[in-house]
Amino acid sequence: MQKSTIQYLLINCFLAIALISCGSVTKNYTPKKLDKTSYEVPYFSDSNTDYVYKTNISVYGNELSGIFIAKKINDTVHRVVFTTEFGNKLLDFEISDNSFKVNSIVSELDRKILINTLRDDFRLLLKKEYLIQEQFESESDNIYKAADGNRANYLFISKKNQKLQKVVHSSATKEKFTLTFSSENNIFAEKITIVHQNIKLKIELNYFKSE
Amino acid sequence: MKTNIALLILFISGNLFAQEQKMTDAEISNFKQEVNVTAKKIKTLSTDFIQYKHLDFLAKDIETSGKMIFKEPALLQWQYKKPYNYSIVFKNGKILINDEGKKSAVDIGNSKIFGRINKLIIGSVSGNMFDDKEFAISYFKSKGQNIAKFIPKDAALKKYIKQIELTFDKEEATVVQVKLLESSEDYTRIVLKNKVINAKIDDSVFTN
Repeated sequence: MQKSTIQYLLINCFLAIALISCGSVTKNYTPKKLDKTSYEVPYFSDSNTDYVYKTNISVYGNELSGIFIAKKINDTVHRVVFTTEFGNKLLDFEISDNSFKVNSIVSELDRKILINTLRDDFRLLLKKEYLIQEQFESESDNIYKAADGNRANYLFISKKNQKLQKVVHSSATKEKFTLTFSSENNIFAEKITIVHQNIKLKIELNYFKSE
Repeated sequence: MKTNIALLILFISGNLFAQEQKMTDAEISNFKQEVNVTAKKIKTLSTDFIQYKHLDFLAKDIETSGKMIFKEPALLQWQYKKPYNYSIVFKNGKILINDEGKKSAVDIGNSKIFGRINKLIIGSVSGNMFDDKEFAISYFKSKGQNIAKFIPKDAALKKYIKQIELTFDKEEATVVQVKLLESSEDYTRIVLKNKVINAKIDDSVFTN
């Protein structure tokens, strides 16, 4: 009897911990007064730059590699192309905050769920401006909350160098996916990762070194 | 003013010379024979290459470069060295990939499309792919160069490649440039340089 009570308590404790840790992204951070109402991301914002990255995609244990190319083609739209190392085009999208067009995709990748996932990932990756509603802080970062439909994006800006390090895309209860950026010059990011929390998908982008 | 006109004439005539002309039937059979004779002599081949990926909306072509090694009958290594290390080996019905140290293998044993791609790469580099069953082929000449254009007949291949253009050095009858046109106006251009034919190459080179 006593043993099962202990078990019951233990299970409850685990449940409680699990529930708490499922809570909002900002639970461990201190709310703060807003110091800005919008934030502009520099990393894909220049229409004169061809953004070219060597890319590794790991999806449920399968590895896929190639070249990711993004270019801002007007005020709101980015063209995004993914090719193999040999140059064969695998997909070709046009993405803005509120529009999406598939110019081409090879039949092997032509799955609605995959296209929608990549659309959401790339849209956030290329997003230029966030409107801020709330602010928090940790020891190392200022954290800005920007609404995104019924979800939200949390921007982690380093206190040390003012660079955007991380964007967490989250529902009210769960983190969905996270972008991390490493940038030397705060003009473009040399290394970017997109990691999904609910599906086994990780995308790693490494900027082409200039000669 | 005079020099300007002279320059203009030079420019125009230069352009005329550079223009492609269709080969006559006699020239075609002569050219094919030369290429076949040269290709048959190739036991091994290694060459440096620069790959230019052209996408219409980009300011600059994306440049990657490396080395290609071929050994008869079907060993092939395609190795990118800049701006990253990525190597792919075709060997005994397998594709071996080494991506910055991360290794993987794909069994292509019975995959028709990969078999075709393998044949295509080897054919492109050696020049010996005048297969009328697989391609609709047209022949052109320009100053110092011959050009063969291949349009795939197979629907599956055609989805990926609209046309392949091989440019040959007239003197040596070997391939100096491979151009792969995609269904849109985008293409990949591969320039082959520092070609070495029939140097001794050990099988152990084709590991990844």
